[in-house]
Amino acid sequence: MGRRRRQEEPTPEETTTTTSDSGGHDGGGMMGNGCYIYPVTALETAPLNNPDVIYNRGIYMNGVMNMDDGRNVTIWGFTDGGHQGGGDTGSMGGGGMGGGSVFPSPAMRVTQGQIVQTRLNVPMHMYHTIHHHGIEPEYRSDGVGHLSGDVNGNYTYQWKPAHAGTYFYHCHTNTVLHAEMGMYGALIVDPPEGPGTAFENGPSYDVEAVWAVDEIDSSWHNLGWTAGTCGGDVGLHDLNPDYFIITGVDGAQSALTAPGIAVDMNRGQRLLVRYICAGYLPQEIRFGGLNVDIVASDGRPLPNSVRVDKINAVSAERYDIIIQPSSRGSYTVEIDIKDWITGNVLGTARTRINVS
Amino acid sequence: MNRRNFLKFSSAGIASAMLGTTGLISWVPRAHAATIRKTYYITEGFITQPDGVDVYFRGFSSSSNSLNAPGEHIIAQEGDTIDITIVNTLGSSHSFVVDGMVDSGRISGGQTRRLIFEARNPGTHLYYDGRNAPYNRVTGLHGGLAVMPDGRDDQLFAGSRRFEKQYFWIFNDCDPAWNNAVRNGQTPSNNFTPRYFTLNGLSGRPPGAPGSGVGTIDSMHDPRTALHGHLGERTLVRCLNAGMAQHSVHTHGNHMEWLTSNGQPRPDVWLKDIIPLDGDAGSMDFIYPFEPAPDAWPPMTNATLQQAKNQGRHSAYPMHLHDEMTQTAGGGLYMFGALTDIFFEPN
Repeated sequence: MGRRRRQEEPTPEETTTTTSDSGGHDGGGMMGNGCYIYPVTALETAPLNNPDVIYNRGIYMNGVMNMDDGRNVTIWGFTDGGHQGGGDTGSMGGGGMGGGSVFPSPAMRVTQGQIVQTRLNVPMHMYHTIHHHGIEPEYRSDGVGHLSGDVNGNYTYQWKPAHAGTYFYHCHTNTVLHAEMGMYGALIVDPPEGPGTAFENGPSYDVEAVWAVDEIDSSWHNLGWTAGTCGGDVGLHDLNPDYFIITGVDGAQSALTAPGIAVDMNRGQRLLVRYICAGYLPQEIRFGGLNVDIVASDGRPLPNSVRVDKINAVSAERYDIIIQPSSRGSYTVEIDIKDWITGNVLGTARTRINVS
Repeated sequence: MNRRNFLKFSSAGIASAMLGTTGLISWVPRAHAATIRKTYYITEGFITQPDGVDVYFRGFSSSSNSLNAPGEHIIAQEGDTIDITIVNTLGSSHSFVVDGMVDSGRISGGQTRRLIFEARNPGTHLYYDGRNAPYNRVTGLHGGLAVMPDGRDDQLFAGSRRFEKQYFWIFNDCDPAWNNAVRNGQTPSNNFTPRYFTLNGLSGRPPGAPGSGVGTIDSMHDPRTALHGHLGERTLVRCLNAGMAQHSVHTHGNHMEWLTSNGQPRPDVWLKDIIPLDGDAGSMDFIYPFEPAPDAWPPMTNATLQQAKNQGRHSAYPMHLHDEMTQTAGGGLYMFGALTDIFFEPN
């Protein structure tokens, strides 16, 4: 059990605590005994309107991801409490985890201009949020812990996406840990033309894939949700990943053939890859020798598309990539995850584009 | 060396020495070139980090009894003469370098050196100690130099997109083991593993935390760092990275207009909510447009901002690095790292 501190106890500046706090091992913990050392912002409610789309999200803290080497890693995420309106979200989760939990968390898919509500329910003994990354709502719907507020109980975020493109959503409470634990999912905004067009008056596509590429430091995945917020050193400054994954599937082997990640397409078809740098470390993605066209990034069309054979990205960047192979074959896509200081490759996740 | 011989600074003391001189930049263009004079004192001391740990730093300081890390910024106009005096109060040798403009060479301990050079290459530059690279720079001996294009007060370089006001954001990563080695005249022997992450020398204090809202401690409220803008008040942010790690600069509320990387104009201006900032003295410039948050519903207007203010609420969004290890201090303390706030103000 982690060290706990009441709010009237010494401030960070007043203490030189060198506790060996492990962060509690109290995954899911208890709010009354939580390690927060400062009061949590009281949530304010933004004016709510009649929504076109509602997503209901809950919390799971007991997911397990099966790795190719036989090990299991604990995963946290958002459960799908159902939705009203919005697009099909069934194909964008990666690994099924049993009990209705998926990793990444179930995707949201809406149309530009719709009024959307995300209704989050958090068990009363912990805090989480949903930040719709790249979506820029009124600040009370921004979902940032301690700024726009941490949630326990129920809270409704409201937003009306103005730009089609690729986004994602993630927890923004003790973010360094909660996002690493897997609390994220894809968020797609379609243009008025609907799925099949990248953005308003943008290029069309026949096949679509979401590659959320992430690294996992399994040593972090034994921490409790409040880890580090006591002020003890729990190692959250130092990420040393040992797994490299694509959309919730181990990139060592499984992602090479995982349905929905490995792409099967016909020559002449156009593929839209929605690439999300879901980890914290820099990545370099190569496309097996294929030249690709970047048409948008971070939910905004580029003034001019750019033809490349690799892309370097940093944490949370998204790139919308059109690929139209001219030759049949199986192209191995490799994503190197690099050390943020040396640039050395720490690991590589792989998948394939199979063109028949 | 006895620690008692060193100056010890709270971050408050440091910031007050710099207030109004780093970060938010004032500038009025001139028809004729001028001479910009500055004196920097190379000093040393300890800075208390958010977890209470004192860490050794050096800086290009504004006086012999202060410690500025980063140093006060310099702003000049293309063609100006920059007249810098460096007073090395320490026993160790240092230098003053701006790539492409000036390199003092060795300034031995106790020496004073005057440097006169022309402001060239409109844009954002790092001044730094080039000796014992990169250790002296990472230990605090760095600052920002802005060179404005001739006769302009609203462009980063001739032909760039226009802005109304400008800030410096100077990021740094700190591995205390490296700083301690520099203090002892040694070459660090460990791989760089940063434990503290700063923006203009400060780190965040989330609401409710001790020091929150105190601009001399809290990077989220430091007036040199936190952006304040009315709707449409386009704001240039000059980003420099004195540290070693590559970062991911993320703004909420608006996308950024990405103008440059490492001093080079981008071929096209992309609208991004994430922009890479390279490690080891990388740089990047962007404009934060202060447009109404595009996905707000009901829409953001001056009236809604005024209403929020009348109700005692801030319409504020964070900027934080998305390589989230940077949001910690001493291995924990989420939100005590390199971040700030962006305040949308009513007219």
